[in-house]
Amino acid sequence: MADLRLDRISKRFGALEVIPPLDLTLEDGGFLVLLGPSGCGKSTLLSIVAGLEAPSEGEVLIGGRRVTSAHPKDRNIAMVFQSYALYPTMDVRRNLGFGLEMRGIDGAQRHDKVTRAAELLQITHLLDRRPAQLSGGQRQRVAMGRAIVRDPDLFLFDEPLSNLDAKLRVEMRTEIRRLHDRLGTTTVYVTHDQVEAMTLATRVAVMKGGVIQQLADPQTVYERPANIFVASFVGSPAMNFLNGRVVVQGDMPMFLPDGADPVRLAGLPLHADGRRLVLGVRPEHLSLGAGEARLGGVVDVMEPTGPDNMATVRIGSASVIARLPPRSGLKAGTPVSLALQADACSLFDPDSGARLSLGEYV
Amino acid sequence: MSEGRFWALLLLFPSLLVITAVVLYPTATGFLLSVQELRLNRPQLGNDWVGLRHYADMVSDPVFWTSLKNTAVWVTASVIIELFLGLTAALALNRGLPGTRAFAVLILVPMFLPNIVAGHMWALMLDPRLGVVNDILMRLNLIDGYKAWFADPSTAMGAAIAVEAWHSFPFFTLLLLAGLKGIPEDLYKAAAIDGAGALAQLRLITLPQLRTVIAAAVILRVIGLVNSPDLLLVLTNGGPGRSTQVLSLYAFQTAYKDFDFGYAGALSVVMFALLMVFAWAYVALLRVDRD
Repeated sequence: MADLRLDRISKRFGALEVIPPLDLTLEDGGFLVLLGPSGCGKSTLLSIVAGLEAPSEGEVLIGGRRVTSAHPKDRNIAMVFQSYALYPTMDVRRNLGFGLEMRGIDGAQRHDKVTRAAELLQITHLLDRRPAQLSGGQRQRVAMGRAIVRDPDLFLFDEPLSNLDAKLRVEMRTEIRRLHDRLGTTTVYVTHDQVEAMTLATRVAVMKGGVIQQLADPQTVYERPANIFVASFVGSPAMNFLNGRVVVQGDMPMFLPDGADPVRLAGLPLHADGRRLVLGVRPEHLSLGAGEARLGGVVDVMEPTGPDNMATVRIGSASVIARLPPRSGLKAGTPVSLALQADACSLFDPDSGARLSLGEYV
Repeated sequence: MSEGRFWALLLLFPSLLVITAVVLYPTATGFLLSVQELRLNRPQLGNDWVGLRHYADMVSDPVFWTSLKNTAVWVTASVIIELFLGLTAALALNRGLPGTRAFAVLILVPMFLPNIVAGHMWALMLDPRLGVVNDILMRLNLIDGYKAWFADPSTAMGAAIAVEAWHSFPFFTLLLLAGLKGIPEDLYKAAAIDGAGALAQLRLITLPQLRTVIAAAVILRVIGLVNSPDLLLVLTNGGPGRSTQVLSLYAFQTAYKDFDFGYAGALSVVMFALLMVFAWAYVALLRVDRD
């Protein structure tokens, strides 16, 4: 097992800079999820860690060892691909043991390790089959088995669940989590699915345009997103945004959403009067209960999901989604006053998109 | 017959008619020819049914056996060399190195030349008096004097195979390159991480993945080689002696030099049968349909 360090890593393809220089560290046993939309450079970054792609500059260190120019096979890593990348002409047993075979591990030892990995992933009954005879979920298990059989320093996952159907994806997600809890191997995991990031990661790096927008534990990323991009990318349904400005009524600084009534937000400083802001609020922080901070609007659409009732509410020129309890009795067209959990809100600068903490409201 | 089946057959009828006209009729005629006497230069023999007499004659015909042996050598050696060259070229082109785009087209040039043109061109280049190949080999001190490549029974077949390989290896390049493009890149990445070197990757990923394409290409090329006499017709006309006489050339000469269409028909049927057996055995051996 080992920690991972990326030191001023950058990647250019000709004149195109895909990843500007970045630093990143992952502690031994950590689970880092690189999260971002397609084309954000997360897979390129993973390939650089794997050694499948050379960085334009910078160093990769695994377990304190500089491996920047080392061949992938000499980095003691294992990788799981979105396409599974199982060798189609070999049976599952040989697929699992192939890495050991190439490293000259003798047959008996190989057999032991393959058997153990197969038991761990419950694929013992599949050992004599070929990949073509397996279902998607089974292939995914074999691909993971191939990774753990070598007991590597580092697991790399490249969108491993993207080819599975929704139900299997949830199952395999749990399986990966269980595996990591049990083996404790340092892991880097690439995905565009924010639920995977939230459930699996000890640390999430949200990426856009090759730049890490925020690197933090999942809860922090969710509760205190570093900017509007992170806030809108993480969470489903996404965070609601209200453009507006600070107004002072009497002695009370209020937030005035465009085209709507002012909202009393605790902590807004008086001297922020007139400052334009973006208020970010998650759907679950809007309720029908009591509270000082309230948003008035008209229900546009109700979407019951079973446990919740998602209400789309028009507020001035914007519309927000509120996660309300089922059987709330609201109908489209009804006026509604939503209580805002003010301490859970985020404020962003409308120009830079960056998060503003209380002291920075001005 | 249900209404659905009736319609299916009715709609298939036009294409069945075409297939019958262009495939079945000529094939059947060939078969019928092989059990008939049909010698254009000896009309007095008539064109009676002779049953399997032509086939019986073949067994005791030394030229047939020589041709059969030469066909085996000609086809086997050509296909092996072409496959090797084609695979090498395809692997090189598939690396997508800068500047290889032009080569991808250039490498196909030999195939664009008609057999007859390629044959005459090489006959000139290998000419015993003014051929450029002899000149180059002399300058490199590889031979002592100008050689008549096609006049020496010990080199005629080899020289002809070299020309054939040059002419047709792009066929393999083309098909194998298409096959290579279809192999998922992830397999090579996984293999690199698993520690498989270039040779192991070729043996354990590339070749197994190309199996179907190789099988199809080899079958097509073998059929072409067995059936086409044109290159040898131009280069050696089966000589010297009968050292480059192959079945297709023998059948061609029997029909259009000796005007013995019955015997030529029988030779063609034998080639047909050999090709059928080959294709079946080859596919069965490779078990192309397994995965």
